[in-house]
Amino acid sequence: MDRKGDFSLQTGSALKDSGYLVAGNAGESHLLSVLQSVDGKPPSMPKGGEALSTEEIRLVSDWINKGAAWPDAVVLQQPAVSNFDWWSFKPVQRPEVPPVSAETSDPEWQQSPIDAFVLARHRELGLTHTPTADRRTLIRRLTYDLTGLPPTPEQVTAFVANDDPQAYSELVERLLASLRYGERWARHWLDVVKYADTCGYDKDKLRPNAWPYRDYVIRSFNEDKPYSRFVQEQIAGDALFPNEPDGILGLGFVAAGPWDFIGHVEVPESKIDGMVARNLDRDEMVTNTLNTFCSVTIQCARCHNHKFDPFTQEHYYSLQSIFAAVDRAERRYDTDPETERRRRELSEARDEVAAQLKKFDDDVKQEGGTQLAALDKRIAKLKPKAQPADKRPEFGYHSQTSGTQNSEKWVEVDLGEDVEIASIVLHPCHDDFGGIGAGFGFPVRFRVDTRLTAETADKTDRPETSAAAGLGQFTKSDFPNPGLATVELSGNGKTARFIRITATKLADRKGVFIFALAELEVLDSKGNNVAAGVKVTALDSIEAPSRWRKNNLTDGIWAQAADPAVVAKLSAAENQRTEILNSILTPDRVASHQEMLKRRSDLDERLKKLPTGRMVYAAATHFNPQGNFKPTNGTPRSVSVLHRGNIQQPQATVRPGVIPLTNDSIWNFDLPDGHSEADRRAALAHWITSPENPLTWRSIANRVWQYHFGKGIVDSPNDLGQMGRRPTHPELLDWLADEFRRTQSFKHLHRLIVNSATYRQASTRDEANALIDSDNQYLWRMNRRRLSAEELRDSVLSVSGKLDLKMGGPGFYLFALEKTAHSPHFEYHKFDPDDTASHRRSVYRFIARSQPDPFMTMLDCADSSQSTPRRTETLTSLQALSLLNNNFNLAMARHFANRVESESKGTSASTRAFELVTGRPPTVSERERLDSYRRQFGLANLCRVLFNTSEFVYLD
Amino acid sequence: MYTAARCHRQGMFSKPHCVSTSKGTFNTMQTRRQLLNTAAHGFAGLAASTMLLENDDARAEVPPSGGGVVEVLHHPAKAKRVVQLFMGGAASHLDLWDHKPALEKHHGEKSDFGEHVEAFQNGLGPWMKSPFKFAPHGECGHMLGDVVAPLGECVDDIAFIHNIVGKTGVHSQATYLQATGFQQPGFPGMGAWVSYGLGTLNENLPTFVVLPDHRGFASNGPKNWGSAFLPASTQGTTIFPQRKNPIADLLPEADYVTKASDDAGLHLLQQLNQDYQQQREGDSRLEARIRSYELAAKMQLSAPEAFDLSAESQHTLKMYGLENPDATYPEHINIPEEAEYFGRKCLIARRLLERGVRFIQVWSGNDNSFPRRNWDSHEDIERDHKPLATGMAVGTAALLKDLGQRGLLEDTIVLWTTEFGRMPSTQGSKGRDHNPYVFTNWLCGGGIKGGISYGPSDEWGYKPLDRDNPTQVYDVHATILHQLGIDHKRLTVRHNGIDRRLTNVHGNVLSDIIS
Repeated sequence: MDRKGDFSLQTGSALKDSGYLVAGNAGESHLLSVLQSVDGKPPSMPKGGEALSTEEIRLVSDWINKGAAWPDAVVLQQPAVSNFDWWSFKPVQRPEVPPVSAETSDPEWQQSPIDAFVLARHRELGLTHTPTADRRTLIRRLTYDLTGLPPTPEQVTAFVANDDPQAYSELVERLLASLRYGERWARHWLDVVKYADTCGYDKDKLRPNAWPYRDYVIRSFNEDKPYSRFVQEQIAGDALFPNEPDGILGLGFVAAGPWDFIGHVEVPESKIDGMVARNLDRDEMVTNTLNTFCSVTIQCARCHNHKFDPFTQEHYYSLQSIFAAVDRAERRYDTDPETERRRRELSEARDEVAAQLKKFDDDVKQEGGTQLAALDKRIAKLKPKAQPADKRPEFGYHSQTSGTQNSEKWVEVDLGEDVEIASIVLHPCHDDFGGIGAGFGFPVRFRVDTRLTAETADKTDRPETSAAAGLGQFTKSDFPNPGLATVELSGNGKTARFIRITATKLADRKGVFIFALAELEVLDSKGNNVAAGVKVTALDSIEAPSRWRKNNLTDGIWAQAADPAVVAKLSAAENQRTEILNSILTPDRVASHQEMLKRRSDLDERLKKLPTGRMVYAAATHFNPQGNFKPTNGTPRSVSVLHRGNIQQPQATVRPGVIPLTNDSIWNFDLPDGHSEADRRAALAHWITSPENPLTWRSIANRVWQYHFGKGIVDSPNDLGQMGRRPTHPELLDWLADEFRRTQSFKHLHRLIVNSATYRQASTRDEANALIDSDNQYLWRMNRRRLSAEELRDSVLSVSGKLDLKMGGPGFYLFALEKTAHSPHFEYHKFDPDDTASHRRSVYRFIARSQPDPFMTMLDCADSSQSTPRRTETLTSLQALSLLNNNFNLAMARHFANRVESESKGTSASTRAFELVTGRPPTVSERERLDSYRRQFGLANLCRVLFNTSEFVYLD
Repeated sequence: MYTAARCHRQGMFSKPHCVSTSKGTFNTMQTRRQLLNTAAHGFAGLAASTMLLENDDARAEVPPSGGGVVEVLHHPAKAKRVVQLFMGGAASHLDLWDHKPALEKHHGEKSDFGEHVEAFQNGLGPWMKSPFKFAPHGECGHMLGDVVAPLGECVDDIAFIHNIVGKTGVHSQATYLQATGFQQPGFPGMGAWVSYGLGTLNENLPTFVVLPDHRGFASNGPKNWGSAFLPASTQGTTIFPQRKNPIADLLPEADYVTKASDDAGLHLLQQLNQDYQQQREGDSRLEARIRSYELAAKMQLSAPEAFDLSAESQHTLKMYGLENPDATYPEHINIPEEAEYFGRKCLIARRLLERGVRFIQVWSGNDNSFPRRNWDSHEDIERDHKPLATGMAVGTAALLKDLGQRGLLEDTIVLWTTEFGRMPSTQGSKGRDHNPYVFTNWLCGGGIKGGISYGPSDEWGYKPLDRDNPTQVYDVHATILHQLGIDHKRLTVRHNGIDRRLTNVHGNVLSDIIS
């Protein structure tokens, strides 16, 4: 119910409270006036709906006059369909194959169960089947159907001449084994899932790494990957098949559709427009998944319960929550198994060292007993209180990071002249990075060395060899972290010009090791800091002003404790802690700890050096942020039912779930608390591929049938629901669905279908049959069809001798690409069709979503913004102009002519060209016409005409 | 998304009985049955329109003749043709059509909207008056910014709608919404729906023509005029008057093709295709295909003639801002250049309308890159809007007057629209941020009442004055279809289980603005 206004019809009291109704007095009730037409204008209610009839208004009026009785129990709800009594929800059961002997005496029709089902329908309706097509027609039909390319004239001739009864089924096997098969059938799949190489919407940014998913689909078809596996990889491959590239590549499915760059990158998720964009993005994922795999129009339940099928908004949003943690982004996969094996080995070794380190820490804790535990607690409590009073941005000196803790780092001040030193004061840093705070980067072990002017710079690299004496050696055991307390070392009256602090065991900064110091004061006998502002040198420095730079060490700025008492307590606790640790940590143990740390950093280095892998645009939870587009890192966004699909009117939050298929379905997933987001997708993948899911198997069996015959058994391939069509052969569909469920094999299904007599019928017309079934719904003949855009373009390349069969890789351009920095311009009219990089099969072309290829679009290519379960077949004068005059066809006609000329001359050239295009030799009269035209205008002109013949463009 | 319209008796009166039981009895089914019947008719008049293999649910039905699927209009039509002028980037209502004295009075004062406002960027600075001077025009006295003053002579024929509301301040979604009725990609443009419904008036020219900005496409590019799930023949045909082939592939560009080889080639093709067709009785597609080549040849003659402005008088050329045929222009955006490019599109539009093109879309402004060459004036209203608006106004005024003089305005609707409006507050010091909460459309001709302002915006031009009763794009689309003789609820196509229509499940005909 809409609660936008102050008017509600949900309950009797809500209606009375609205003031629209005076019980017992219809004349006084405003409700009636809004239902009636005023001054010839439509009534203001129902808004956007049909006006109530006079009779209906009278009923309302009578009801009000009688007191507007409304039983308390009656609460009006949004209507929902609850009827599961629908053919597609029923379990898929293998039906009995009808007996065929009574139907026909034709032995061809007595072999395949498919034909038995088709014949049974024929008999019911009084239809007769059409004889088998001639061999030339069959090889052309089959070759296009399975590979999307024409057979060569030589293949046609050989097949026509072959009288082996097995010749046809052998041809089927040859074509199914061809890599061209995957290229053809992947294109069907890509139509349904909306694959493209750009994002669509405003700016239409490129997706340079979408293509690995396209290649994955082609390869999956060629490998005849079991369908359940294929589905699971596309929804939850990362969870179900870890360490396998296909588990990541398949996720390109989730990301295949359009994506709103501005709504995600330029608008934050906190804004309404940002929320709308993300909601619509999840909607696209849910829609794509349920349309593709189950042929359910779940998108109808976004704004209200589904009007026709028993799915509610709650079901819909439960599906949204499955995708609540994923976005569309690039993620790494590896196609090199050796690299992946190395990565796994190294990762395992690293995990092992990490475990050893943890055990080491645990052991130390154990041995330290309650005393150490109490100190740890006390330190943890004191630390946050030891805040600096007034933290200035100039933190201090910070070395570069090291992978190992025991590499040495030094920093040094030059006092300019030899000075007699009373004392040296070290001030630790404060940085909240990694939650470290006070004592940040203070060395665990260190020493202080000095040199005189006379001991010149050439020795600075080897201070340990210098004659200078140290002012302190804290290298044998760990120095307690001082927090924000100062560390003062006596100068013992030593004279020196250079003071160097060398860290021999670095401080831990979240897994890397550093040396940092806020300030170094050198006090002379009068108590003056002679180091103020002097020159600082260091082995290395991160130099990240203003926080970190060498000169900060002598700038007189350091973090000073707000409460010196706390600092003192903290320092005392740290002292005690270090003492305990020093007593536990024998030199051997320290050495072994160092060894482990070194090994860990070593492994990290080696992991880093492995090839970084290649990227695929896919569903992702971890990726590099771009503007406001940030990864969830696997934490699902909260998803609520949205009143009328309005992001500003959230209702109850939902749990992940699917759609019910029976009255008593448990449709919410039974996932434990703390489940990962991938568990949700895995549960969805299992639900879809369950043998019990009737929609999945019917949906895909119907699609395959449709691509072979041009029309599905259910003629609404993306909708098996109430608004879809009913199956023409329900038993056949279930038989096919069961075969497919049992074998999981596309190639098995193809074999069954294309070897059937039904498929091998001629496409000729029969008046008697046409009178009964003009649309050929019951397959009394084969359907004639036009080539698809891809088939046509690939055929043109093929007969012209230009087709490059290189497989895979980034899509080739059919446009000049300009202005990619902002909104890419795809300039089709500037493209040179002689660019050989483009002479590849059309499935490998780069598909720009916002600016589809005009030539391909004119030939009814799929629109990548919408799921296209079936291509349209249009005929227009503009299409005729495209085939006649598009630069591609004009350029190819010339190549075609060159090819033919290199193979044959004169009259035979005309014949050869005709054969290449139609698969048959011309008749005598045709040859005369062709040749006369060739003699007058040349072979290129003839080739141009041939590309436009109906015989080239249609398949019988 | 939505399903059948009938069941959307929603709004405050959402009713429990509105639930559908099994196979509905809703009127869309009837429409469908009609379609199936018409599809079974002959193909005698097949033209630049289309035909399909057979009826089917995953794709649209077959317009059987030169006409569209609406063989009998739902009611008498007031208009036959439509011109949609689309300003890419979002043109400011406040600086062109919707005069706000309050902004002049309170210019520079801290803006106060009385509620939290979510700006697209950060354009909630002080109130900002228009940099342009407003003056009354026509008998109706409509106030226009001086940059659109050339349209002053036309305001008595125009109905302004000042309370259009959008759904989003995101360019792409907003452009889709105004162009296709949906925020997402994948839906047919309004022109595709009209072509689908009514078909062509001249089979020798495309039914739906698009004249993009000469610099490139606005947000979403050709998806704004795509056919989506309607037949490809209903998509907009883009015309670039400055290109050698203004319609792609109209004429061959290959040295080996001559007029003679082309003519003889078409003759040979016809013979080959006839032979093929005669051996395959009863497949009307094959006949239609032969006919499509005949029509293609006719279009090759008709189209260049339609684009050829040489026969236009000096007076006409001057009216459209085309008096300097060989002018060159500086790099920065300037009025004469804008006037020439927009004017040329308007003049070609008039010539196409005269020759029976059904629907024409004219664009101003390309994508949102820099320097600004569209209406997205975040930085400086005067800098961008002045040249764009003046150029647009010169061409548009010429088009309206020219159509009027030729008697074409009577049955041609001209719609001026944009993505959304702009804020009454300042962004930076001279720009305005997006305002999807209110903006202006206007319509003219084709039975639209002239000299009226409908549905005022509030005193700031921030939201509709009556926030509960705004006008939406669905209402504008419904009104245009109504004028064309189509009930917007009855022109539907089943796509993936949903009966789709231009107005989704919304739309009321704006009876106040039609005569």
